[in-house]
Amino acid sequence: MDYLHYPRSLSDLIIAFSRLPGVGPKTAGRLAFFLLQHSGEAEDLAEAIRIALRDIRQCSVCGNYTEEDPCKICSGQGRDKTMLCVVEQPRDVVALEKTGEYKGLYHVLHGVLSPMEGIGPEQLNLSPIFQRLEGIKEVVVAVNPTVEGEATAHYLSKLLKPFGLKVTRLAHGLPVGGDLEYADEVTIARALEGRRVL
Amino acid sequence: MVKMAVYSTDAIVIRSREYGESDRLITLFSREKGKIEAIAKGARKPRSTQRGGTQLFTYADFLLYRGKNLDTVSQAQPKESFIHLWNDFDRTIAASGMVELLDTAAPKEQPEPELFTLTLSFLFLLRHVDPYIAQAAFALRLMHSAGYLPALDECGDCGKSLRGEQAFISAEAGGLVCATCKNNRAVKALNPGSVALMHQLYKADLGMLDRLRWNKKVREEILGGLCFFCEHRLEKRLHAWRQGSEFI
Ligand SMILES: [Zn+2]
Ligand SMILES: [Zn+2]
Repeated sequence: MDYLHYPRSLSDLIIAFSRLPGVGPKTAGRLAFFLLQHSGEAEDLAEAIRIALRDIRQCSVCGNYTEEDPCKICSGQGRDKTMLCVVEQPRDVVALEKTGEYKGLYHVLHGVLSPMEGIGPEQLNLSPIFQRLEGIKEVVVAVNPTVEGEATAHYLSKLLKPFGLKVTRLAHGLPVGGDLEYADEVTIARALEGRRVL
Repeated sequence: MVKMAVYSTDAIVIRSREYGESDRLITLFSREKGKIEAIAKGARKPRSTQRGGTQLFTYADFLLYRGKNLDTVSQAQPKESFIHLWNDFDRTIAASGMVELLDTAAPKEQPEPELFTLTLSFLFLLRHVDPYIAQAAFALRLMHSAGYLPALDECGDCGKSLRGEQAFISAEAGGLVCATCKNNRAVKALNPGSVALMHQLYKADLGMLDRLRWNKKVREEILGGLCFFCEHRLEKRLHAWRQGSEFI
């Protein structure tokens, strides 16, 4: 797309959109023009982004996105504090919560180990797990069944072994290469039941 | 509408990244066409038939549509998933280092059948060979066959034999040089033991690699020297190689 024909602020807006995941230059242009023609929606969007950036932070205990710290799950009553479920992304917490099957605590890594992309243990919210193990009886590693997910699960279980915990991994139901986020609730629930010891 | 060309090839997935809502952007090293970039649409959805075949390190039969910049995966039928590369982090790192180097060194769409066979063999070898021995041996053979690393047993400048000698690896010198020739070039030193082992890592039959042993010092010298050499020679930071050095 030839940005030179647009006023500077418009081309900046299009470029900003095109940096979003899954948005190509054409879609970016369409979104920008839509917002210019619908200033009400544009104001709402700008306000929503500003408030989200201001109010949402990572929970200092589990790393999930939250408005209050610690988050509702970490400080909540009725959660099973002997179980810790390790997930890649905050959106995976949502996927698991929707099933209603899991009542334990979470730990969000914000990614998986990916040597080729330069993501090692230091780049993840990984080492804080070891400060949370008191009272935990079982750690469920619920990362996606990708190569990087498997590698992360094995790395984690090796480090957790000396603590004498039960370390399990989501089992059948989740096919290799699938994303937890896209699995339906029944599939996730089945995977939770069938988790296996690492 | 233009009819799109379809072609089939067996290939190794040497890079696989999440893209968009549910796609994967993959780099293949194929027997027929060498390095190919392709998009696998919907490959991250649980019911996608391309799920398994588009995972990193997987060896699969591919059916692809030719595109202007990017080909599109139509089918990906896994032949070998190399499970042993997933469940041991040292193996994951070593295999990552190997395919990262291959991705950086191999030109796009240029068939390299010997390099293809070499890569496939090494992914299998990682089942029982020390992963970092395999990584170093692969790097030496790859850099040599791509013409980046000419001589290993003699000084690249004066031709003096390096057997039993200290040597220096240098991208500026294009390989190994002796103490007299290193001059003011950026080099990494290799002790005689490391020079000798490097020679074996390069020359040994693949079936003999599991007999090679090294201590921590030699390992660090060789892997460090190779990382330094490859990064300068290919002008690219090698993430997996640097990750590895944090663990070993
Ligand atoms: Zn929390
Ligand atoms: Zn010399």
